Amino acid sequence: MHLYMNIRRRNDLDALQQDETYDAVIVGSGPSGAILALELCQAGKRVLMLEAATETGKGFDGYQSLLTRFYSRVGKDNQSPFPVNPNALMPRGSELRKLASGETNSDSYIVQSGPYVSDTVYTRAFGGTSMHWEAKTPRMLREDFKTRTTFAQGLDWPLSYEDIEPDYRRVEREMGVAGEVEDHDGLDLSFPPGYVFPMHGLPLSYLDQQVGKGIDGSSVVLDGQTYPIKVRPYPQARNGVPNDKYDGGEGFTPQGAVASYQIDQGGRCQGNTNCVPLCPVQAKYHSGKTLAKAFATGRLDLLSQAVASKVSIDGATGLVSEIEVKVYHDPDHSAHRTIKVKAKIFILAANAIETPRLLLASGLKSSSGLVGRNLMDHAYLLNWALLPEVAGTFRGTSCTGGIVDLRAGSFRRNQAAFAVDIHNDGWGWATGSPFSDLQQLVDQRNMFGAELQKGLVDRLSRQLLLAFMIEVMPNESNRITVDPSYTDALGNMRPVLSMTIPDYTMRGAAYARQFARTIFSRLGAQDCTAYDPGDYGLVPYHGENYAIRGGNHLAGTHVMGTAKNNSVVDRDQRSWDHSNLYLVGGGSMPTIGTANVTPTLAALAYRSARAILRQLDGQTTAPSGLS
Amino acid sequence: MVDDQRFQTFLELSEAITGFGRVRLLGTGQAELYFATAERVVGHAIMDELLTAFADLPTRTPELLRLHLFGNEMLGDVVRNLVKLWFGGVWYQLPAIWQQAYGPAAEDGTFIPSPDAYVEGLMWVAIGAHPAGAKAPGFASWAVAPQIPLS
Amino acid sequence: MMPTSAIQDLHELYDYLDAAIQLEHATLPPYLVALYSVHPGTNPDAVQILRVVAVEEMLHLTIAANVLNAVGGKPDLNAPGFVPAYPTHLPSGETDFEVGTGAFTPAALETFLKIERPGMSGRGARQLIAKARNRSGSFLGRHPRDSGWSYYSIGDFYNAIRDGLRTLEEEARKSGGTIFTGEPSRQVTSEYYYSGGGKLRAVTDLDSALAALELVIEQGEGEDHGIWSGDGELSHYYRFQQLQLGRYYEPGDMEPGRPTGAEIKIDWDAVYPVKPNIKLSDFPPKSELLGVAKAFNDAYRRFLDLLTQSYNGRPELLLEAVPFMFSFRNMVNELIRNPLPGGGNAAPTFEV
Repeated sequence: MHLYMNIRRRNDLDALQQDETYDAVIVGSGPSGAILALELCQAGKRVLMLEAATETGKGFDGYQSLLTRFYSRVGKDNQSPFPVNPNALMPRGSELRKLASGETNSDSYIVQSGPYVSDTVYTRAFGGTSMHWEAKTPRMLREDFKTRTTFAQGLDWPLSYEDIEPDYRRVEREMGVAGEVEDHDGLDLSFPPGYVFPMHGLPLSYLDQQVGKGIDGSSVVLDGQTYPIKVRPYPQARNGVPNDKYDGGEGFTPQGAVASYQIDQGGRCQGNTNCVPLCPVQAKYHSGKTLAKAFATGRLDLLSQAVASKVSIDGATGLVSEIEVKVYHDPDHSAHRTIKVKAKIFILAANAIETPRLLLASGLKSSSGLVGRNLMDHAYLLNWALLPEVAGTFRGTSCTGGIVDLRAGSFRRNQAAFAVDIHNDGWGWATGSPFSDLQQLVDQRNMFGAELQKGLVDRLSRQLLLAFMIEVMPNESNRITVDPSYTDALGNMRPVLSMTIPDYTMRGAAYARQFARTIFSRLGAQDCTAYDPGDYGLVPYHGENYAIRGGNHLAGTHVMGTAKNNSVVDRDQRSWDHSNLYLVGGGSMPTIGTANVTPTLAALAYRSARAILRQLDGQTTAPSGLS
Repeated sequence: MVDDQRFQTFLELSEAITGFGRVRLLGTGQAELYFATAERVVGHAIMDELLTAFADLPTRTPELLRLHLFGNEMLGDVVRNLVKLWFGGVWYQLPAIWQQAYGPAAEDGTFIPSPDAYVEGLMWVAIGAHPAGAKAPGFASWAVAPQIPLS
Repeated sequence: MMPTSAIQDLHELYDYLDAAIQLEHATLPPYLVALYSVHPGTNPDAVQILRVVAVEEMLHLTIAANVLNAVGGKPDLNAPGFVPAYPTHLPSGETDFEVGTGAFTPAALETFLKIERPGMSGRGARQLIAKARNRSGSFLGRHPRDSGWSYYSIGDFYNAIRDGLRTLEEEARKSGGTIFTGEPSRQVTSEYYYSGGGKLRAVTDLDSALAALELVIEQGEGEDHGIWSGDGELSHYYRFQQLQLGRYYEPGDMEPGRPTGAEIKIDWDAVYPVKPNIKLSDFPPKSELLGVAKAFNDAYRRFLDLLTQSYNGRPELLLEAVPFMFSFRNMVNELIRNPLPGGGNAAPTFEV
């Protein structure tokens, strides 16, 4: 059970500069870039992929070195497995601090000004953020694609659920999603008759089951409507038990770990409770699994340690002529060589912050001026409590179940929808559990020996953390910009992030807090939620303070639309201004609803792949508006 | 005390302050490393004082351990650190006041002595779980109640 | 008198398949002890390869149970003497060799190579050789009906089974019947168990039975001693050989003994000095350590019981057996890191 990863690497920079045989250059090796690479290579096209980071993690030993680094780090934040690379920095929660209104922190990679500080992150590593994603794979709902029409909020997509549905199935195959169609009952989405996921759903954790016992069958009333609630499993891109009914009875063969030699790992999820920041056994999908297949075609080349620094436009044609790339040898030294690479099609798949950062650094704001604007990320509100009985917390995948009954409804005219995750890893995200608890029990409560063992059970095994993933609508003032005064070691401008949490979302957050209190009281759980007034993500709202966490679900910054004046890309993620340029990823999404963005952005990548193949094969010339 | 005897006393002390038996402690594979780590930070003399204070206890009841070890101005912070080291695999920086009174302990700081120290933390054993990212209990094991040793 | 290698009837076939299940299981304890004798965080290549091979031995065990079930037999992993007393012996031509539990050492690696590729007497052969009748200690690969005789090699032993399946099925068909009368719901399929190399398919007829046994042989020693199997999988023999040669095979390598992939380094000192073929009697009486060793044996017995149930109509229980296997790992590690008063380190004894 493994995938051979035999990378074809370009080290011949002089020859590469002269090479005009590539059909496409892709910037970024995350899920979007990987899917495009595989689709284009399988169609016979030659592709060059640029990755800003090193190749650590591409092979088995490198991947294991990330795991060892994770073990060794005292602060086990979601970037802890990934070494600091000054030439390709990534945001890290550990470098943030509370900022007063107007105060600026430029010590962190992403430059931010107060009062609200987002702790959103993404990973600049081989495999992109799929290295540390949690791999929950809910689809967006039908109504999420038309929130402007339906709720007078946000933007409508130029695509419907039906347009994107077949591509969701492609994603579920490629990523190997474990789930059950029945677990989507009552949600505003549909599957073709007889559809099953590639693998059976992962079982709910014992913790989920305890919560379910207390609330299943109960309901809440919101905006005059009654919503029955229950705990149900999330679909996940994680190996489980293959469903032999998949693919018309063909079944499904899970994809294991990637390696340059024969190993056997990456079978069924073993319950390491470490999806974020790194699945130790590669049971979780990461884009390396797709890239391994793309490299196997012999038509994908990789140039790593190569930071795209400028997209150049031919003034006469408006086409992208080349991408300037800074290639460095050593992450700890800024010495680099600047080269230019060419192709017929240029694809930026660097994520919804790095892609607009690169465009803006290249002076490309787009005709609509929307590059970098409409930045979205889910706002997370954490609520934590102690259950009355031992619930076996700290076991399972990071999250197996949750409450998704308030993802849709007429209340979205007034307030944001949310999905609730039950965290199998306890209060870790909110309080630093279990290490913070250990310190407290030993240093403050003076426990040791058998008393400490019992104290730990009492303190840890009853923990329940409900993480509310609250939708954020597009807002042009939430944005990424660049500023020549803030650069990295290679002289590339760093992203400057401006974000405020809209009232629409905060109404959802305030209701989320209330909803959590309701759940806790139904469970007889002790509500321990307390938001630190010194929290950098603190948002005051109607006399209460809420600590809002980032969701790492970045979107909106090269928004998709129906015309050049209202969007940056068309429905195929093709730039309106530059017809050989595709901007792929979450940045194209006009809304994010209450779904983790990766399945949707991956589905869009399939759509773009088809459009690019049509374009390369001479079937289209102009961007596609609404047909 | 001669070296092996010191290590044996360290193990007995560790049994008393963790509530886990010798087999479990040696079973982590970290005992020597923890002994060496603590001694490197606090120095041979203070480690000797700790071992002697422990060895001199007439009985190893929680009350006497509190009075003579955890409640000792110098030894208390060290022995609490040992508890946290065994349970969490982390050596936490000693309080500044300890450093002023009994330092300098040049090697002090908050660190994990080896990647496996994290993996072998006894806190996970105590709660019938496993360290995040290691010692996975297997597919679907999370769906049943935890097996907690002291319950 | 030399017994015949031709299997006479269904009951003798059951005996052979029982012996095959026993044989496939018998290599697990030596592989597991070697695997967990390696110091944590060291020798990642050896750890990976030992782990893969152990996992695939579980697959082979399950395949043998599927074949036995297909012909109406009843696998029993809790039968007396199912787990051999170590050291046990395996045949390798005229001589045989000892297989025991112990640390991961160059000698152990040599033994593992022999397990995976014992010399066959010839392609398709099924030669028997005489063994001293009163030979002490356990011995695998014996003729199930006459313990004075052993197969020349495990390959010969499996050839006898394949022949037996063919001839018994041929005879049954002559009278309009089949030997494949087992209940299909007793088959364990990939849904309940999957790992690298080879899907676990239901055995329902002669073709699927022969294909299943082919997979077992191929994963062990390689088809015709080739490096790669039909689906691009390295055989166990060549996986282990990589450790001996210090280099990985990579796709395209066709010459046995000449891998060209990444280098492998082994730190033979980063291994706990496990006492070879340890028994409960080697533990200090009434010690905490003895308690852990006994607890392990109890758990192992329950594990074999769970497997027996999974192979007797409740395949879904195999999913439950998995967490069991993972909890062994912690117990085995604990034992192996504890020194014995008399020298050497403890280990599980597998005296169930």
